[in-house]
Amino acid sequence: MLLELLSGLVVSAEIFVFTLALALPLGLVVAGGRMAGNPVVGTVFRLYISVVRGTPLMLQILFVYFAPYYLFGCSLARYPRLLATVLAFAMNYAAYFAEIYRGGILSIERGQWEAAKALGFSSARTFMRIILPQTVKRVIPAIGNEVITLVKDTSLAFTIAVTEMFTLAKQLSSANTTMTPLIAAGVFYYIFNYIVAWAMERIEKRLAYYD
Amino acid sequence: MKKLVLAMSAVCAAAAVFTGCGNAADDGARKFVVGFDADFPPYGFKDGSEYKGFDLDLAREVCRRRGWKFVANPINWDAKDMELNSGSIDCIWNGFTMQGREDGYTWTEAYVDNSQVVLVKTGSSIGKLADLAGKTVGVQTDTPVQKALSAKGGREALGKTFKKLVVMPNYNNAMMDLDAGAVDAVALDVGVAKKKMADMPGKFVLLPEIVMTETYGIGFKKGNTALRDAVQATLKEMVKDGTMARIADEYKIERRALILK
Repeated sequence: MLLELLSGLVVSAEIFVFTLALALPLGLVVAGGRMAGNPVVGTVFRLYISVVRGTPLMLQILFVYFAPYYLFGCSLARYPRLLATVLAFAMNYAAYFAEIYRGGILSIERGQWEAAKALGFSSARTFMRIILPQTVKRVIPAIGNEVITLVKDTSLAFTIAVTEMFTLAKQLSSANTTMTPLIAAGVFYYIFNYIVAWAMERIEKRLAYYD
Repeated sequence: MKKLVLAMSAVCAAAAVFTGCGNAADDGARKFVVGFDADFPPYGFKDGSEYKGFDLDLAREVCRRRGWKFVANPINWDAKDMELNSGSIDCIWNGFTMQGREDGYTWTEAYVDNSQVVLVKTGSSIGKLADLAGKTVGVQTDTPVQKALSAKGGREALGKTFKKLVVMPNYNNAMMDLDAGAVDAVALDVGVAKKKMADMPGKFVLLPEIVMTETYGIGFKKGNTALRDAVQATLKEMVKDGTMARIADEYKIERRALILK
């Protein structure tokens, strides 16, 4: 039974890793768009964040998977469920990450921009070399919150029949009429998140070079 | 929103590349994807590393005889129609009740007669359906017995006597609630009820009266008669040569419940 649960944990971990790999950089793009001087771009990204944060992730997963069929009549026979899951998760988490990044970027004093300009830095170089490194340090705790939530949110993947750990636990529980698999799943989630929290703490310490 | 639409279009374009859009013709052996609720023993459930059960074993045998590749795909029960209509699964084969859904699917003939019964805890004061008045009764979401007991259902009058009809996400939750005393009774399929009683001996008692009779069929996408006919023909062969009865024995489903001729 534990072995079965572990196979589900692999699926959960896949969703987790791929989502982070996509959403962390995508969030920066969205944050950039949201803060863009161009009013059209700014509005578009503002709307994106608003829609994504304002609707349930479960609904977004259904949408990303079934939209090709219901909007365009494409058969889903070769559209991997895991791909749809990761795309939906990445789109969703990118919106939250974007707002965290934005908060971090805005928290850097204006004077630094002015000082960099006085020293002849271009704005792109100022951002990459001066603003971004400080932003990363400041947003780590908030990002950690979202990352831990993501571990638990992976259970939403079953909306489109991706059998991750929690679903497997429910199935094993049904098949054997026992609560044990659910308790075991809880322990696994806790261990997973314990490791995530530990890693976030390590990163935070590693980045604390000037403090 | 524009960005969302754009992202969606990108996803759809990607999907179109994957599928060749509208060109679902597959190479090699035909895949036969069975959608089922894996929280539903003895019809479909997780056993060790694989999915098995009365319905899944029947489906596997149909595929073997037809030379199809069998794929057991556990689905989110609430999304079953989207799964079926979009072609993600080929059929719903899962102790799937026909009553109340006659027009929603292209059905095979009924193959199992499965009445709806009520389970109570051993030692409960409830001995007949009339005793359920003022009690809390659990049912699984989107099941015929839930519809029957709710407003405008066939057993609405009985349902109205309850204190409350609690809708549960799956049977396992319902049994846990019954065991823990959170509900006084659970209305469910007789096949599932007997399996639960066998799993937890001495814990539950079956009321002698039946709430309603119902039959199981295999549901295909509306209009997909070709696939339905193929599956039904093979299924009938399996009735004739005794394979279905043998599989039923394996899962303790009573032979007299098998009604496909």
